Amino acid sequence: MSSEVTRAPELQVREKQQIAEEGTRPGAVFRPDVDILEHGDEYLIYADLPGVDEQRVRINLDKRVLSLDAELAADVDPAWSALHTEYHLGGFHREFRLSDEIDAARVSASMRDGVLELRLPKNEAHQSRKIEVRAA
Amino acid sequence: MAQFSVYRPWVVEPRSAFDELRRDLDAVFGRFGSQAPSVRRGVYPAANLYETTDAYVLTAELPGVSPDQIQISLEGSTVTLHGERKIDYAADMSAHRLERQSGTFRRAFDLPAAVDPDKVEAIHKNGVLELRLPKTPEMQPRQIAVQTG
Repeated sequence: MSSEVTRAPELQVREKQQIAEEGTRPGAVFRPDVDILEHGDEYLIYADLPGVDEQRVRINLDKRVLSLDAELAADVDPAWSALHTEYHLGGFHREFRLSDEIDAARVSASMRDGVLELRLPKNEAHQSRKIEVRAA
Repeated sequence: MAQFSVYRPWVVEPRSAFDELRRDLDAVFGRFGSQAPSVRRGVYPAANLYETTDAYVLTAELPGVSPDQIQISLEGSTVTLHGERKIDYAADMSAHRLERQSGTFRRAFDLPAAVDPDKVEAIHKNGVLELRLPKTPEMQPRQIAVQTG
């Protein structure tokens, strides 16, 4: 897999993808844009979660299935009247199936400027090991 | 003939001939429906405009853009945002999925009325920029007491 990535020089808005059926939670739920990378013995997931703070992110790991749920930190002030709306407010949900088992005890998550960074270390059994070949 | 001021919130630079035409048509025929016709898809960042009694509030989704990468300028009733969203991953990472975009952005917004440039506040929180643009005193609603004669 190539790590060389060329990206568009000028940003384009992509409409938020709303999830059609999402259980009993009120309000809209969107599918966040993510980057998934692998680095040595861990996976890294970056998710765009605008409007979400670290208090409102829930990460659930069930073997190889990782689910991410996030809610907005604040709603629009009811005293504001909308003149123009280009994006809708709501929570986020997404699930990932990972090809290796994750060591749940060592998962770490942080948020910065509305982007979640998840570090998911692989279980020892799944970590790649360097095996030295010695001359006989 | 009376001049109607047309509210065209989202002006994009550079303005195309089509935009000018649409603006002129808006000026002649007015607007129908509740949705502003000048919404342009694909222009970053997506933004919402709200009005309070004494201010306009412009919000824009800019996740992953650090506050020092956002430049805001105000000229009359036009607010311009420009900046860059940078994403740098170490070269030795292998990518399974890359959906997040990086790049530059520039966008101008026409507010319905002039605002007080000295009182504009910008807050960038959780990847959402919130610009509070107080209306000039002349534009704010005033209570007029009725006196008995």
